[in-house]
Amino acid sequence: MNKGDRRIRSVKEINEKIKRGDAVVLTAEEMIKLAESSGVKAAAKEVDIVTTGTFGAMCSSGVFLNFGHSDPPIKMTKCWLNDVPVYKGLAAVDGYLGAAALSETRGFEYGGGHVIEDLVSGKEIELRAESYGADCYPRRHIETTITIDDLNQAILVNPRNCYQRYDAATNSSDRILYTYMGTLLPNYGNVTFTGAGQLNPLCKDWNYETIGIGTRIFLGGGVGYVIGEGTQHNPQSGFGTLMVRGDLKRMNSRYLRGASFYKYGVTLYVGIGIPIPIINERVAKTATLRDDQIIVEIRDYGVPSRPDRRPVIKRVTYADLRSGKVYINGKEVPSSSLSSYKMAREIAEVLKKWILEGLFFLTEPVEPLPRKGRLKPLRVRRKEPTVRELMRREVVTAKPDEKVEEAARKLIVKGIDHLPVIAEDGRLVGIVTSWDLARAIAERRRFLSEIMTRRVVTAREDETIDAVAWRMAQHSISGVPVVDEEKKVIGIITTDDISKRLVEGRSRV
Amino acid sequence: MRVRLIYSPDVVEKPILAEVISKTGLLINILEAKVNAQKGELVVSIPSSGEKLEEAIAMFRRAGVKVEEIKETLKIDQEKCTSCGACISPCPTQALQFSSDWTLKYEEEKCVACGTCVNACPFGALTLLEGSEG
Ligand code: SF4
Ligand code: SF4
Repeated sequence: MNKGDRRIRSVKEINEKIKRGDAVVLTAEEMIKLAESSGVKAAAKEVDIVTTGTFGAMCSSGVFLNFGHSDPPIKMTKCWLNDVPVYKGLAAVDGYLGAAALSETRGFEYGGGHVIEDLVSGKEIELRAESYGADCYPRRHIETTITIDDLNQAILVNPRNCYQRYDAATNSSDRILYTYMGTLLPNYGNVTFTGAGQLNPLCKDWNYETIGIGTRIFLGGGVGYVIGEGTQHNPQSGFGTLMVRGDLKRMNSRYLRGASFYKYGVTLYVGIGIPIPIINERVAKTATLRDDQIIVEIRDYGVPSRPDRRPVIKRVTYADLRSGKVYINGKEVPSSSLSSYKMAREIAEVLKKWILEGLFFLTEPVEPLPRKGRLKPLRVRRKEPTVRELMRREVVTAKPDEKVEEAARKLIVKGIDHLPVIAEDGRLVGIVTSWDLARAIAERRRFLSEIMTRRVVTAREDETIDAVAWRMAQHSISGVPVVDEEKKVIGIITTDDISKRLVEGRSRV
Repeated sequence: MRVRLIYSPDVVEKPILAEVISKTGLLINILEAKVNAQKGELVVSIPSSGEKLEEAIAMFRRAGVKVEEIKETLKIDQEKCTSCGACISPCPTQALQFSSDWTLKYEEEKCVACGTCVNACPFGALTLLEGSEG
């Protein structure tokens, strides 16, 4: 038996101390300080519980609702709360409202997360439902208003909350990106990150020794429980997640906040706090983990790939990120969080207070969470058209020192709109369009090098048409050269090529 | 400095702004205008300070125009703000920062009213005040 394994105290003993009013409870920040001054060993002996907290966007959240039966009754097949669709593949008056569902009338401004917040704050919500009607459920339409008190049940059940860590984001592209990681300025203009780091519950019990199925937690200002590992739980890589549930009726809208990310969508900010019983020295050690010991990778959202394929620009720590600046390619770049450290701290404090006042007792998990688990990507089995299939391989190109008139003639003769400009070695150095040439002639410019666009938007051969069409739309352009790894032009693809393909596809059906 | 100029009905038709511009030589920029027969309201930025600014303001006042200095640019709804930080790194001038207790802190003097933070806030806690867009 490893020394770290030796049991210092049991959850039962801790609960007895809470009852007597002499449990020693510290927040994670206080525990770090204590360990720094007296060492982990002494801290482990002295402290019974470390409280944690996190407050951030948790899209995989939602609430099970039971509306009760109207007279005559309805078997709701479609249902909306404040115009936000509720999932109705359940019994007549049961539904699930997801945090990321968008309002059908207000778009990105309002959604499931906001409805949940409004419910918790006691606001009146418009309920609308439809049905096809049945002998036992004759009603086909209903429109009324409800508040949370009218509902039989409102149970928050969040399939994935409380990410242990999360990759930070930056943007190498030349345009501003609006993402679930917030506003990302062009050319590595900023870095955003999320997660409570040294206050995060799963960072403080890194080996899943105390948190398991049945762990009682602070959830949205009320009491909740861990009901299992969350979806995408990936503990081996330090990306653990939790599935949690709690009674929405007892929660507080201060800790459940609807949010909208500009041009991305809506979500719910959830406040979670978990007490970590210091049962042995190993748990005490992970409970003292500091921001400067928790590694985060900064990924480039300028590359439209799967999250884990976005290039890693740099490895940093939460301490680096929280300092307000990081260095990328030798340049100082401002960094800021999306989750609230202030609220995370507050939650750890509130939980501590509950325990000290004897209002909150710890539970022993009925089953541990998996300590293994891998994340698999979704394989797209249906073949998606790629650039390779649609691009034209005979590309008409020009050299930078070519005359404007000569280039214009080329375009007319070949009936094309885009002329990639290449250097002697075949590398792409610019592009001109028929519009550029028309203007250049009017302005009496002479050589392509004077007028060509030097920052060329390009495509790769193996990209899907979808990704490239989106890029063209974002830049308001109608064609892009296809380049290989050495930036040599190997083809060209235009919106015309894509729309022709779509038309053909349809006529074949 | 940004100021709000309020014209009463009897002066609304006079070319006061043009006069001030031509006499002071200041490149006064109109940020917002609401003018009708009864009343006029302009928000302008006067690219000056000290005596020259005083002089321009005095000229407006003498012509019967009410002048109000606009101090605030960005309004932060403290009820809505969670101090998440989503607005901080997108701000080009570091006008938004955390204070030592991780509460959002805003420095008026640094703000250039670009509005980037307004879209970046997930809670709709930020609004650019009328006439400060520019
Ligand atoms: S308006 Fe622009 S300059 Fe002012 S605080 Fe917001 S982002 Fe910063
Ligand atoms: S983004 Fe909004 S909520 Fe977050 S700190 Fe800024 S103003 Fe506050």
